[in-house]
Amino acid sequence: MTIVTGKAEARRRLQSGRSGVLRQIWEHRADYAYVLPAIAVMLVVIAYPIYYTIELSFFKTPPGLQLRDKTFIGVDNYTTILTSEVFWRVTWNTLIWTLGSTLIAFVLGFATALALHREFVGRGVLRAILIIPWVISAVAASYIWKWIYHSDFGIIGAVLVGLGLADRPPNFIDSVNTVLPSLIVVNIWREFPFAMIMMMAGLQTVPEQLLRAAQVDGASAWQRFWHVTFPHLRNVSTVTILLLAVANFNSFIIPWIMTGGGPSNASHIWITHIYELAFGRQRWGVASAYSVLLFLTLMTLGYFYVRALSGNERQEGSA
Amino acid sequence: MTRITLGSAVLRGTVATALMASLMSTSALGAPVDLSKWSPEYVRSIAGTEDFDTAADCAKVTPLDYKGRLTFWYQGVFEGDPDLLRQYYKDFFETFRKTYPNIQLEEQALTYNDLLDKFRTALLGNAAPMAVRLQILGGTEFASKGYLEPLKPEDVGYSTEDFWPGAMKAVTWEGVTYGIPTNNETMAFIWNADIFKRAGLDPDKAPATWDDVVKYSKQIHDKLGIAGYGLVARKNAGNTPYRFMPQLWAHGGGVFDEATANPTYEDVQLDSPQSKAALQASYDMYVRDKSVPVSALTNQQADNQPLFLAGQLGMMISHPSDYDVMLDLQKKATGADKDKAQTVIDNMRYGLIPTGSDGKRAVVFGGSNIHILKPEYVEGGKVDEPAAKAIICMWTSPEWSLKMAYAGSNPGNLNGFKTKWMKERLDNIKFLDVTTSMLPYGIPFPALPQAPEIMNIIVPDMLQNALTGAMTVDEAADDAARKVRDLMGGL
Repeated sequence: MTIVTGKAEARRRLQSGRSGVLRQIWEHRADYAYVLPAIAVMLVVIAYPIYYTIELSFFKTPPGLQLRDKTFIGVDNYTTILTSEVFWRVTWNTLIWTLGSTLIAFVLGFATALALHREFVGRGVLRAILIIPWVISAVAASYIWKWIYHSDFGIIGAVLVGLGLADRPPNFIDSVNTVLPSLIVVNIWREFPFAMIMMMAGLQTVPEQLLRAAQVDGASAWQRFWHVTFPHLRNVSTVTILLLAVANFNSFIIPWIMTGGGPSNASHIWITHIYELAFGRQRWGVASAYSVLLFLTLMTLGYFYVRALSGNERQEGSA
Repeated sequence: MTRITLGSAVLRGTVATALMASLMSTSALGAPVDLSKWSPEYVRSIAGTEDFDTAADCAKVTPLDYKGRLTFWYQGVFEGDPDLLRQYYKDFFETFRKTYPNIQLEEQALTYNDLLDKFRTALLGNAAPMAVRLQILGGTEFASKGYLEPLKPEDVGYSTEDFWPGAMKAVTWEGVTYGIPTNNETMAFIWNADIFKRAGLDPDKAPATWDDVVKYSKQIHDKLGIAGYGLVARKNAGNTPYRFMPQLWAHGGGVFDEATANPTYEDVQLDSPQSKAALQASYDMYVRDKSVPVSALTNQQADNQPLFLAGQLGMMISHPSDYDVMLDLQKKATGADKDKAQTVIDNMRYGLIPTGSDGKRAVVFGGSNIHILKPEYVEGGKVDEPAAKAIICMWTSPEWSLKMAYAGSNPGNLNGFKTKWMKERLDNIKFLDVTTSMLPYGIPFPALPQAPEIMNIIVPDMLQNALTGAMTVDEAADDAARKVRDLMGGL
């Protein structure tokens, strides 16, 4: 009889585990060879920049010197950011921008998807029209909206003044109070079709017989939605919200083109502030530290996104 | 008696003519432009008095059959420039390719607001072009960081005294010259005489002081319900400092002591009472009187041009090229708008930029410079210096420095004022006298590496903080002064 101690057993399992992994890799060597070029490219264009950004975030990069003259300062850049008044203001803007854009675009997209899920004449045309904001270039959209909002000769102002509803054009993007909500409206206009498409796809998966059964059982329209439709859309909703949130955290074009973060920093969000710090003010170290914080935030959102996707897969697997 | 054959006579005649032509084309032998005599009359008197052969001049720097390759970025035309200028840019590159057929030129045009960001990024990746034409603000920044090769007018066949001393300061860092000015400019004050008349102002008289500008702007707005003065306060836009700094300097303020004869740039003056008075004037127009475009915080000068053409703006600071821009825009208008635009053009008047209360007049001495990069920062690690010098010689020649600045600026090479194209320009471009008259009042931006951040970010931020009510005028000026001190302290 062989007596196996606890340590020896653990070592054996580890070795068997290792050999198991190695064996699996060897068995799938052709698969790894296929993805190797993609991994190599990713290492160059993603992994190295991430590494360099993290490294740079620990250095002081005075604007009057070249980047190679940087000096190591530990976590000072992070301290500078976290104790800066501007950071908290920009963070607050980022939260309002991301949450506002994401939630309203989702709700609007979902509502539109529900409306378009029914059969009616012209549904296809309406669906095509509603997708336009999403397919239009963000740069073009920004310039168009800048013109629409223009505080002196914008379309909205002209209509309101023309109808006698206002004495002078409303100030949308030249006021610290209205600029961020105005930009969020533009972002929602651009993004809600994405949510609409996602939710329309989700609605196709809701079993028709369940809805009919609920109807036969006397469930009202709201009860059918809440107890049958919505639970089926939980995963696709989660994925849509996470994708929108990640996109909004990284959304640069609309605020940068329309206001450049102004007036008086009132529409600066993290990504535009990072750009200005790096390229306008050449504070590469501080901008890198900012980027690391943004990266960590997005990775957290990414984690939940992957979890949501895994949840979907598990659910589909068990179904 | 010496008998001369027809053949030798022709030969001698040809040699003599060639010698004469070469003497005439050598700027060193022509009398330099006398800046002490500078006036519109003096400019008229020298225009068209000298001929230059650009190709022959540049052949002495780089042989015309030189074979090479050049990457070149330049601050090119943008949406606010007239079509005439676009044509001259096109002509320049066509002529360069014809003159130097064996130089493979890869040029890239970037707008004023994009060039610095892109160039800085390229430098970080050692992917810069071999030569670059930058706005006047940029030279010192890149020279101080060691990116640029020393380069002076003599390196491309010209003389330092052929360029404005103020412009040479902007390309000099710690006593070494790192570039050559291509064009230099001062703006002027433009107003709509019809609007002035309807507002009860003298249609032929520009506001004499900045206090008058505030007063006139209010009067125009109150009487006609349109914007009086074309204030611009967008961040990261060159237009903002070009319009605010003259106001700041005229009030006796400044970022430092840049408005003095021998600036030291040691004492920050943005929080001085004079600087605050200048900021207060902008505040009064934007917040108190609401007499300027509300969109001033997000707009640049290109947005003021259609407002002016539509008869919705009474006065603004701009280039003489705005006259051409208005003509271009008018051509694109249709129906009643076309006639309306023509009325505005007929009523366009140019004058000197107003003074401060003590009679001080100032304007930004603007322009651009051309530079050669050090090989280690250039894509491929090599700079084709003869090719770079060829294009620099051509661009900074009397001929092309004039043509490339035809509508909106002035030639960096002062000999450009002597060319026939200057004479043609004086005949064709309205109001050119006004901007040439403003040149002696020109003050260069501080020749410091920190100047782009100060002018493009800190000064506009100060304006925006005051105009949005995010800070009081005092707080905004104090905040800006603190930022400049921090910046100069290396933070």
